[in-house]
Amino acid sequence: MEENAYIASIAAGIFFLVAGVRLLRLHRRTGERPELLLGLYFAFSGLYYLGYNIPNLFQIDTWPYQLDLLVEWTFVLGVFPYLFFIRSVFRPDDAWGGWIVGACSVFLLAGTVLTTDGGSVDYSFGNPWFIVQWLGYTAPSFWLGWEALLYRQNATKRARIGLCPPIVANRYLLIALFGGFQVLACLGDLSFANDINGDQAISLFTDAILGGTEIASVAVLWLAFFPPLFYTNWITRRAVILPTPMDG
Amino acid sequence: MAADLFDLAAEKLEGKTDMDRLAARGTLRIALKEAGLDTRKLTIPQLRAVFEKLMPKELEARGVSDAAATCQAAMNEITSSADSVGIASSTSADDVFKRLGES
Repeated sequence: MEENAYIASIAAGIFFLVAGVRLLRLHRRTGERPELLLGLYFAFSGLYYLGYNIPNLFQIDTWPYQLDLLVEWTFVLGVFPYLFFIRSVFRPDDAWGGWIVGACSVFLLAGTVLTTDGGSVDYSFGNPWFIVQWLGYTAPSFWLGWEALLYRQNATKRARIGLCPPIVANRYLLIALFGGFQVLACLGDLSFANDINGDQAISLFTDAILGGTEIASVAVLWLAFFPPLFYTNWITRRAVILPTPMDG
Repeated sequence: MAADLFDLAAEKLEGKTDMDRLAARGTLRIALKEAGLDTRKLTIPQLRAVFEKLMPKELEARGVSDAAATCQAAMNEITSSADSVGIASSTSADDVFKRLGES
């Protein structure tokens, strides 16, 4: 991985950790499940990003397999609450939502167990289980992006008649963008898997894309979870709210 | 008897206008779609917003005279009869997304 990509990755890890802790504290206050699930996802993701970059940050050449495993499972364990969050918020009544959660969980577990089997973590196209694992962690971000985009469409309509705060309608868009950026980052993993034994020419390009998606992810999450007052005011001012016929 | 809030609202709309059952339900569906609402998860405040802000225009387009007053009368009847039907829980994705930005 190229140096700038490490910096972006570590910055994203710290931000995810902060966002996760904030959501978990919100859960302590509200007792509601969605913030718990999303908080766990971001906390695990933050730990994963930091753990994954420690060898690069401290220029450690030999990294024990057990630590690789620990970092890998930290990431995987975070995907489960992520899946349950998407299901419980967007598709609580649709049976097919449960099937997606089930399929992704099986892909993740089988893919991770069999990718990390044999004393090393094998991220390459030579290992078919890597693709299974990849599907298991990429599909949730695609699903989140898609659902948030659909919800954003209706939330914008509700905002016009005063049933949804404009900043909430905008938050759906920000989360949809986050899902999209995560899918792009996951596509970068495929490039690394392709180049793992090659000249790594594509990986250098992917590094730049990866760094960009991580910075973009942090930016949209910052606006979603820590919206500055100027941003909230800007979104609210731009919103079109219909008057009632009696108002006119 | 109406099974849910959508049925009840369509019934009252039909009673306050010359529209038949099919036309009343269709008009209500169009207004709810324009409002970005799910017919299965309606609440009274949502329906009130639709009857105040969108339905008058829909009724005018269908030749109903004094559409705003008709909507108000229908909404009053819906509110007073709402106890008899099942109303969806107000917990929604909007509530979750609202909380996510709270500090």
